[in-house]
Amino acid sequence: MNGTLIRLTARQLLGQKRTVLLLLFGLVPVLIAVLYRVAGNDEPQRWAASALNARLIIGTFLPLAALVFGTAALGSEFEDGTAVYILSKPIPRRVIVLSKLLVSWLATAGVVLAATVVATIIALWGEPRDGILVGFALAVVAGALVYCALFMWLSVLTSRALIVGLLYVFIWEGVITRLFAGVRFFSVRQYTLGIADTVVDVPARVFNPRLGEMEAVALATITTALTVYLAVRRLRRWEIGEAS
Amino acid sequence: MSAPAPPIAVINVSRWYGNIVAVNDISFALGPGITGLLGPNGAGKSTMLHMLSGFLQPSAGELRVFGESAWENPGMYRRIGLVPEREAVYPFLTGYEFVLLAAQLQRLPNPEEAARQAIAMVELEDAAGRATGGYSKGMKQRVKIAAALVHDPEILLLDEPFNGADPRQRLQMMAMLREMAARGRTILFSSHILEEVERLAEEVLVIVAGRLAASGDFREIRKLMTDRPHTFNVRSSDNRALAAALVADPSVYGVELQDGLLQVRTGEFAAFTLAIPGVARQAGVSIYELRPTDESLESVFSYLVKR
Repeated sequence: MNGTLIRLTARQLLGQKRTVLLLLFGLVPVLIAVLYRVAGNDEPQRWAASALNARLIIGTFLPLAALVFGTAALGSEFEDGTAVYILSKPIPRRVIVLSKLLVSWLATAGVVLAATVVATIIALWGEPRDGILVGFALAVVAGALVYCALFMWLSVLTSRALIVGLLYVFIWEGVITRLFAGVRFFSVRQYTLGIADTVVDVPARVFNPRLGEMEAVALATITTALTVYLAVRRLRRWEIGEAS
Repeated sequence: MSAPAPPIAVINVSRWYGNIVAVNDISFALGPGITGLLGPNGAGKSTMLHMLSGFLQPSAGELRVFGESAWENPGMYRRIGLVPEREAVYPFLTGYEFVLLAAQLQRLPNPEEAARQAIAMVELEDAAGRATGGYSKGMKQRVKIAAALVHDPEILLLDEPFNGADPRQRLQMMAMLREMAARGRTILFSSHILEEVERLAEEVLVIVAGRLAASGDFREIRKLMTDRPHTFNVRSSDNRALAAALVADPSVYGVELQDGLLQVRTGEFAAFTLAIPGVARQAGVSIYELRPTDESLESVFSYLVKR
């Protein structure tokens, strides 16, 4: 890790308009949770686990936040041509990727975790939590890392990382994974839900992820390590004019 | 004991993008001093600088910086400073922060002092506290140069460094580069403007259409450019009499009369332009118009390639 790079990336990411938009987007799950409680619906545990956390936060908000921060951490520098100021320094490419990944991970996890905690507390106000709050909080932090690593690799690979990432989130994870059960092994969303299940202690009727706990943890670890390795390798051989 | 490797050695280097050849079998070696990389736009100058700075892999040949490959070698950036052509800087950083960033990434022992010195070298102290997003093109160029030389590199590569600089800034930057060269630094800068190269570079590399058209001492190359065949169109009070008089002049090797115009071909530009007023006066002819037919830089370059 490199402190100078970490500070630079934090200023880059936090100074963007899209960060403000994401923070505003983070209010959506909270508002929906408030509306849910006001409407006084049944089965708050099931709703909090399967609808609020699994579908809205982990299915949409988490990957979108990771896409914004993960692709911007390095990708925006390729786009505007400033990457050359970092790459023309005697810093191992591994350090550049890890420093950028750390900031994008913390930014994503911070924004999504805040929404997760507040919305889940509201949704389960006065109800037993049975590990739902802690399980999904843990899953969001872990999932943020896997998604950011994946999207950072995409941003080093192509200048269209945002489009490819959106296709991955909405077509691959949103549609194809539902249609074909075997594809769940290639879905970060499924890894994240499986990680939540390591702590969530509710019946399968309430929350039932498609991957086993150990499978999810192992696949999330492998995916993170592999995408970081590929990003470092790609950055070592990065050519000016590429991804820009 | 073997001689130390030259700062820059380029050996039969080519680079192509698909079917397009950007750099074609170029070889040269550079030592301390200022070298100008001259050529028209699209000639391959930036491609060559990008390969030298390790940001493009040669498709063929070898490219060595202090004896080491420039490709996949981040360690060499301790000894190299690069000023890219693109204007982009981090708009949210002040000029000082931008140069300090470079100093810190170079892991200099006193980055704050190094940043202040580099900013002073490019005379940007007054604007150092302002965000670079509000800088003019010339100021961005100077802050980029300050960031590139903050670690006092042995090699400085500059891609079109005088773009956007006003004449005073240009002179100041030239003086600074000359001072660096005097301290034994190797400086290579690209330009498509002959006068810039003429004023600054001792050595020159002329690249045209990806090929090295000429290289060496600038005065020799300037002579080559000047003494190439030139054609002048002349309109006078008596073209026929002037043609007869000019044929006898040693600087002229051909004349042609067509449609009220006299076309004169010469192999010695300077001698011809000095001789023609006297020749015309002796022949009793008044010259109304004397115009070289093609003096564009592109035509000069294409002559060097065909030579």
